[in-house]
Amino acid sequence: VTFRTKLLLVSSLTIGGCVALVTGAVSAATRRSFERIDAARREALLAQFRAEMGAQGRDVARRMETTASSAEVQQILAGAAEYDAAKGAAEAQGLDFLDVVRPDLTIVSSAHWPARFGYKNDWQIASEDWKTTETFLARIPTPEGSAVGLIAIREAPGGAFVLGGRRLDPAFLKSLGLAPGMRALLWLGPRDVADAQGAIAQPEKLDALIAEVRNTGGQSTGTVQWGEGRASAEAFLAVPLDRRGKLMGVLLAGASLAEQVNLERAILWSGVIVGGSGIVIGVLLGWWTTERITRPVERLAEGARAVAGGDWSAQVEVLSHDEIGELARAFNQMTAQLLEQRDRAIQAERVAAWRELARRLAHELKNPLFPLQITIENLQRARAGSDAEFDEVFRESTTTLLNELAVLKTIVGRFSDFARMPAPRFEEIDLRELVRDVLKLYDAHPKIQCAAELPVEPVRIAADPEQLRRALTNLVLNGMDAMPEGGALRVRVAATGTGARLEVSDSGQGLTEEECARLFTPYYTTKQHGTGLGLAIVQSVVSDHHGKIAVVSRPGEGATFIIDLPREQTV
Amino acid sequence: MRPTLWRSIAAVSSLLAAGLALDAARRPRYGGELRVEMEAAYGDPAALPEPFAGQVFESLVRLDDHGEFRPWLAASWSHDIARKRWTLVPRAGVVTHNGAAWAPGPMVFPDDAPIENILRDLVGAAPASTGPFRVARWEPGRSARLEAHATHWRGRPYLDAVELRMGRPLREQVLDLELGKADAVETPVTEIRRLRQRGTIVSVSPPIETLALRFESERASAAVREAVALAIDRTAIHGVLLQRQGEASAALLPRWLSGYAFLFSADRNVARAKQLAASAPPLAYGYDPQDSVSRAVAERIAVNAAEAGIVIRPAGNAAPDVRVIRLPVESRDARLALTGIAIRLRVPLAKDAANPYEIERALLEGFRVIPIAHLPRAWALSPRVRNWGPLEDAWLEPAEPKP
Repeated sequence: VTFRTKLLLVSSLTIGGCVALVTGAVSAATRRSFERIDAARREALLAQFRAEMGAQGRDVARRMETTASSAEVQQILAGAAEYDAAKGAAEAQGLDFLDVVRPDLTIVSSAHWPARFGYKNDWQIASEDWKTTETFLARIPTPEGSAVGLIAIREAPGGAFVLGGRRLDPAFLKSLGLAPGMRALLWLGPRDVADAQGAIAQPEKLDALIAEVRNTGGQSTGTVQWGEGRASAEAFLAVPLDRRGKLMGVLLAGASLAEQVNLERAILWSGVIVGGSGIVIGVLLGWWTTERITRPVERLAEGARAVAGGDWSAQVEVLSHDEIGELARAFNQMTAQLLEQRDRAIQAERVAAWRELARRLAHELKNPLFPLQITIENLQRARAGSDAEFDEVFRESTTTLLNELAVLKTIVGRFSDFARMPAPRFEEIDLRELVRDVLKLYDAHPKIQCAAELPVEPVRIAADPEQLRRALTNLVLNGMDAMPEGGALRVRVAATGTGARLEVSDSGQGLTEEECARLFTPYYTTKQHGTGLGLAIVQSVVSDHHGKIAVVSRPGEGATFIIDLPREQTV
Repeated sequence: MRPTLWRSIAAVSSLLAAGLALDAARRPRYGGELRVEMEAAYGDPAALPEPFAGQVFESLVRLDDHGEFRPWLAASWSHDIARKRWTLVPRAGVVTHNGAAWAPGPMVFPDDAPIENILRDLVGAAPASTGPFRVARWEPGRSARLEAHATHWRGRPYLDAVELRMGRPLREQVLDLELGKADAVETPVTEIRRLRQRGTIVSVSPPIETLALRFESERASAAVREAVALAIDRTAIHGVLLQRQGEASAALLPRWLSGYAFLFSADRNVARAKQLAASAPPLAYGYDPQDSVSRAVAERIAVNAAEAGIVIRPAGNAAPDVRVIRLPVESRDARLALTGIAIRLRVPLAKDAANPYEIERALLEGFRVIPIAHLPRAWALSPRVRNWGPLEDAWLEPAEPKP
């Protein structure tokens, strides 16, 4: 993930998270406020309902008082009126229910159920304290089943009674002044639920709330969702309407959640829009910012990669004067200094190499020159002596001169070989055969025991057999040189996943850590008579074969040279 | 002495004049237009009920008030000597409403059935437009004007014309009568007492309509239907709701027509009804919403049924299980009347029954229809109307001059 992506992600998440937090907090506060307001409105509606019930009750009592002493009732009781004459008396007083009953409670005339004449009234009196109660709620039988009414009972002349009142129905609810979003429902029985406009749809959705009121006998609250979406939900306060523990009905003061839900939705959408806009703006700003930050950084990275690739002259453009610009300037300064130091180092190395070469040449040439000088001086002195002595000296001196000249020739040949290392010519070889060929030359060494650990299967690789033989020979000779007192030399070949491994171990005095580090430097040697070119040639060969060479050694524990060679060579 | 003589002469003259005036007032008078209003609406003059039935169209034979066959357009009928056919003799001098002489084809019937059966078929068959009134205007379902047929074979009717308004609500009819806009209006039996208390003349016919409860669904079993029949308190219905008009009865035909109505028990037995009504489903009742009598009776039956443990509630907009209906007695012949009732009930008639009683018993079997009462037809009349009955005999007092 790029720095730019990270920066954009962080800025987007930060903006989105902040907006979400603010939106959630505002929504929660709004919901709590609405709930408080709705609860207060429902309580106010309940108080209003109770006040209206009280007023209606007083009105019903007064009208029943008037009805009990009316001429119509007297005519009914005297049998001088129609069987449904109570209707007229009820209509005159605006009553929904009216039964005119004899002292034995036989109905003479009924306004709400005229057909019940002759039957006993069974919805009231007897042991009730109706005389001390102005009005009360009662369930009254009707042709349709039953209804709940606000009832009063009054005595009529001759010991008769009139029982009547008003129906608790949607018309009653209309008298309640309702705030917008508020609704009053009246539950009077299963599936018998109405608001001010009449019977409501889906009354069964209130069953749970009604059941709770029935079970607890007290107020209860709940939310009813009428349709899909929370906007259709309504929060209710259910209040039992009972008398002497008998539930007559339930008043449900409802507050629609539509306004609350709409406001919450508006807040949510505002949050989404603000958040979205913030994220877009953040992304644009972030893009612009990261562009200003990352472009110089990317150029610095390109410059660093160029330096790593060997282009020490790489420079980056300085675009600003801030920290990034300072970094670019420092980079440019660093590469300039590196270039300068590299040139100096190359020059110093060249000087050091020439000095080392001169020292080696001087050292190598000095050794044979001294015998030459002695031999020639012996010849000069012998010339002054007798002829026989001269001949003897001449013979010995010429032999010595030829030997030393051969040594000089060898020294010159080695330097010439190092300088003229040809390009390898690869062919498939069996590394085991190569090892056997080389070790065969040194099997007869009197002090050193040579051993080869070779696998049964051929270890075939692509290699230049001559160069590889020379490298192995150099390592074998190097190991023998490390064991002047004798020892064991072991050469091990093994196939690896990518090619082959060749290990040459000796049991000599071993190498220090510093010697190990400098071992492959040209002209470096730990021997008194070495040219320092043997291991350099080995490293050159291994490098031309795209392999790796390493040495593992500790002082006193011998040394092991490890060469890893690839199986295939790409031209 | 002279003053006494003169006084006596004057007194005798006054009495004579008063007697002549009284005689003139009681004597039928020709002329005038009778304005009649009805609640029902008819599309065909032939369907008009009493007292219009037979006033426009006449048949060969009629039934009198006792259900006996009377010659009408057929003046007589006779048997041939070989007793193989009956021949009806057409009445002479009959003129149709368009002025042509009434000339029916040969009226010969094979003697393969009793003459009563032949005549019964002729009572309502092949009516001819020869009645005392002819249709001058007919607006189906709304109004009609009948004018006197001056050349009617029984003589011109007293009334010049009858203006008939149909489909008038009962309440508006009463208002029209009180305002003098109508001379005869229909009135429900429940209004008779009130109208008479207010001095209105009300003419009440013999019971010619059967109020009954009909089961229209299969929700109620035969036992439940019988339970409902046993729970009905006909006495209270007749005495209170119907104000003792007509007669409570468990028979389809009124007693005056059949003579056997008392054989169908109208006794109430709530205890038995409770036994039969065990596990009865709740039922819904219906009635003609324009008919206050039917509604009151239906409500009372629901109360009676509740006493037996059967819940019957108003059907509202739903299809009712039971309905209070009116079955008009369309004929003075019991068989014909039962035929009409069977057609209205959409049940087959037991034609192989030996007598009307057997027919009626078959109709009532299973309690799919439960008769409750027989109702008369009542007309509230203005004081001008005289001799209310068949229109051909009715006449009008002249209107009093306006002061």
